[in-house]
Amino acid sequence: MSAIGLCLVAFIFGSVVGVLVQRSRFCNTAALRDAMLFKTYRNTKALLVAMMILTIGFTTFITFGEGNPMYFDVGLNTFAGLFIFGVGMVLAGACTVSTWVKTGEGNVGALWALIFTFVGMFLFSLVWSANYWPPAPASMTGEPNLEALQLGYANAATLQEKFGIPAIFFGLIQAGVLYLIYKAILRKEAGQAESHRMAQAKSATAQPAE
Amino acid sequence: MASEFFKKTLDPVIALVAIAVMDIFLFVIVGAWTVGGGETMMTGLIAQGFMGDDLKRLPFWNLVFEPDPTYWKIYISLGMLFGAFVSAVIAKEFYIRFPRRMSEWVMITIGGLLMGIGIRLAFVCNVSTFFGMGPEMNMGGYLAISGIIAGAWVGSMIYKKILEG
Repeated sequence: MSAIGLCLVAFIFGSVVGVLVQRSRFCNTAALRDAMLFKTYRNTKALLVAMMILTIGFTTFITFGEGNPMYFDVGLNTFAGLFIFGVGMVLAGACTVSTWVKTGEGNVGALWALIFTFVGMFLFSLVWSANYWPPAPASMTGEPNLEALQLGYANAATLQEKFGIPAIFFGLIQAGVLYLIYKAILRKEAGQAESHRMAQAKSATAQPAE
Repeated sequence: MASEFFKKTLDPVIALVAIAVMDIFLFVIVGAWTVGGGETMMTGLIAQGFMGDDLKRLPFWNLVFEPDPTYWKIYISLGMLFGAFVSAVIAKEFYIRFPRRMSEWVMITIGGLLMGIGIRLAFVCNVSTFFGMGPEMNMGGYLAISGIIAGAWVGSMIYKKILEG
């Protein structure tokens, strides 16, 4: 597909995502923060369902050698970068998606977060230009490079190649694990609802005594 | 039915199922949903607007991200902005709102900076983590998910401290 065609596909995809996220108020930050701070799982459940579908979908296509998986080496920087990102997204109260969506709703705070994301990226480009770490995707080999704290490249496709077992097999295992987490959340919610009812019943019986 | 859609809040599970199905199509056509790469390219294009050819003296913008306005990932972000704007206007939920307290402005500024630095250090954003690398079973996806959960926990603790004053 031509570059313009791809941009058009990307714009249409983004527009539909924008409408869906705006209507559902889904937020990746809330999916993690609310589960940890407030023990509410509205967004967490949606995230898990999406990941189950995507895992099965992606690994099915990977099994037949289709699809375009991301290709670059990962390493300590992947963990460290997302750690920094995780702290930042909770402080900003928005992730990469919700900054765009909330800006579209007229939220100046979200626009401010977006501007400083750009500033942060530019600051990092200055640091990278001085020390060239982490290695640029162009110079990556796919092999572990411990000197540069890089572990190389591995995904469902390389697993299939290495073990001769279709990628979908590994995908189903991962989807199963995600499903177990999802079930555990449902159980926890049922428990919360139960203790909420008990507390209400208790206060109802306690009232006449007052 | 269309008007109902813009009156009620949509169940996020339904929204995310629809997004996941579209993301599979995008994965087959060009690559999974991502935001950080497009934002980096926008940063480069904005910087080029300010600095002109001086930007070329920074190796990052030659070797990793050469500013290119036809980079498809940019248009995912612009699409999200456009879709959310149209949706908010139809639902009568569009209005200009500002963070009220100074502390909010400070937190958003620091949070935004950390997000930008984190994305560039990791070469992935949270969207690639959960909607790309994770489901591709990329080793980096597991590193990234561990990182973002640990980071969100630390962030939540800081947030709680600030809320409690």
